[in-house]
Amino acid sequence: MSLSSGAKWVLSLLSIASLAIIVHILVILSIPQNATHRAYEAVALYGPDRQFNTLPEVRAGSEPLPALDPAMKHAACRFQLADGPVLFHASIPAPFWSIGVFNASGEAIYSLNNRTVGSDVLSMLLISPEQLSILRENPPEDLEDLIVIEQPIKDGFALLRAFVPSHYKSTEIETALSSAYCGWLDEASEI
Amino acid sequence: MTSLNSSHEHTKTRLLSLDDLIPATVRSETDGYTSDLPRILQPRRPTPVRTLLRIVLVLISGVLLGISTAYVAIERERPFLAVTIGPWSAYPKAGTPEADPYSVAIYTRSARIPMAPGEGLTMTARTDSAGYSLDPACTYRIAGATPTARLWTLTANNRYGRLFETTAERHGINSSQILYKENGDFVIYASSQPHSGNWLPLAPDPASVDGMMLTFRLYDAPITTSSALTNATMPDIVQVGCS
Repeated sequence: MSLSSGAKWVLSLLSIASLAIIVHILVILSIPQNATHRAYEAVALYGPDRQFNTLPEVRAGSEPLPALDPAMKHAACRFQLADGPVLFHASIPAPFWSIGVFNASGEAIYSLNNRTVGSDVLSMLLISPEQLSILRENPPEDLEDLIVIEQPIKDGFALLRAFVPSHYKSTEIETALSSAYCGWLDEASEI
Repeated sequence: MTSLNSSHEHTKTRLLSLDDLIPATVRSETDGYTSDLPRILQPRRPTPVRTLLRIVLVLISGVLLGISTAYVAIERERPFLAVTIGPWSAYPKAGTPEADPYSVAIYTRSARIPMAPGEGLTMTARTDSAGYSLDPACTYRIAGATPTARLWTLTANNRYGRLFETTAERHGINSSQILYKENGDFVIYASSQPHSGNWLPLAPDPASVDGMMLTFRLYDAPITTSSALTNATMPDIVQVGCS
């Protein structure tokens, strides 16, 4: 029942250490859920969801998002997959471009670049497993030409990066990025 | 509960200063604590206030220690599972579903969009090849070759990874702009003053820049797995002089 004061000290330090470890782990694990200025929120500042919004030039003091490459032009598209599959369509006249699809906590779900696509045109469909089983019953004609990514994610965003080799290519790439399509599958046939 | 009450009554009697009114013999009987037994055999006086204080202190310091270590780990902005090649380090798993919880927390909190594996690989250096921290007031010679990549860019950032105003109109240098040696190696000078050959411009006013790091972005690089990375070579960073 009664402990010597030495044992009391050891016990106190042990309980401080174990409590600190538990709190430390809880804080680290809860940050992704509680962070309010995630990339998913930051991307929404540049335009409405379900369309590619070009990000401003990456320059000192006005970086649209941290750690973007100043040699690239970027376009981002935010989406909620539960609303329906997301179709990406882009044709970018840059020597290098890439697209990454990320979930709301910023983890890369899928990524490719213009060499892995194998053509200059990107046609990609992001779809949940349930939506894919519905789509298979009545498949659109061009389904064979699409890169279909079946992912059970809820919210996310895609980031398109295009390398600008020189100034005179800049406007051409800017136009290509702003006309890149990110949106509904059924509306896409109109373009 | 009972011990708490007894102490309460005890303090009450003290407050009323009854001690002065009641003879010492009577007080020892009512108190029940004092006796003629040797000290070792005396029942230990319960110290509820001190025990409570101890528990509260343990709780507060445990929580504070946990939060502060987590804060430090995240604010350092350096995930733990780094692959290093000389002064360069990469976090190939960061921003993927296999990432460790620390890099997930760092990336989400800073709203940073990682380079996905299919896009390329980012390598950063905070020190030169001799191990000294990079200083925006110094000139560095970055020489060697990179792992195979279709395109690479080299940028200078401050310690937080932010860009700073440079002497030239550009913020970096890339593989399509530079001159190579016959064997495919290259030499780049990072300096605030214009330099012949391949020049990576730094800040005209180095005092206004807080620390420095160099960022190499290798696009469409086959080496995105850590096993391939350990055998890769990256350029050396050698300090040439400081202004």
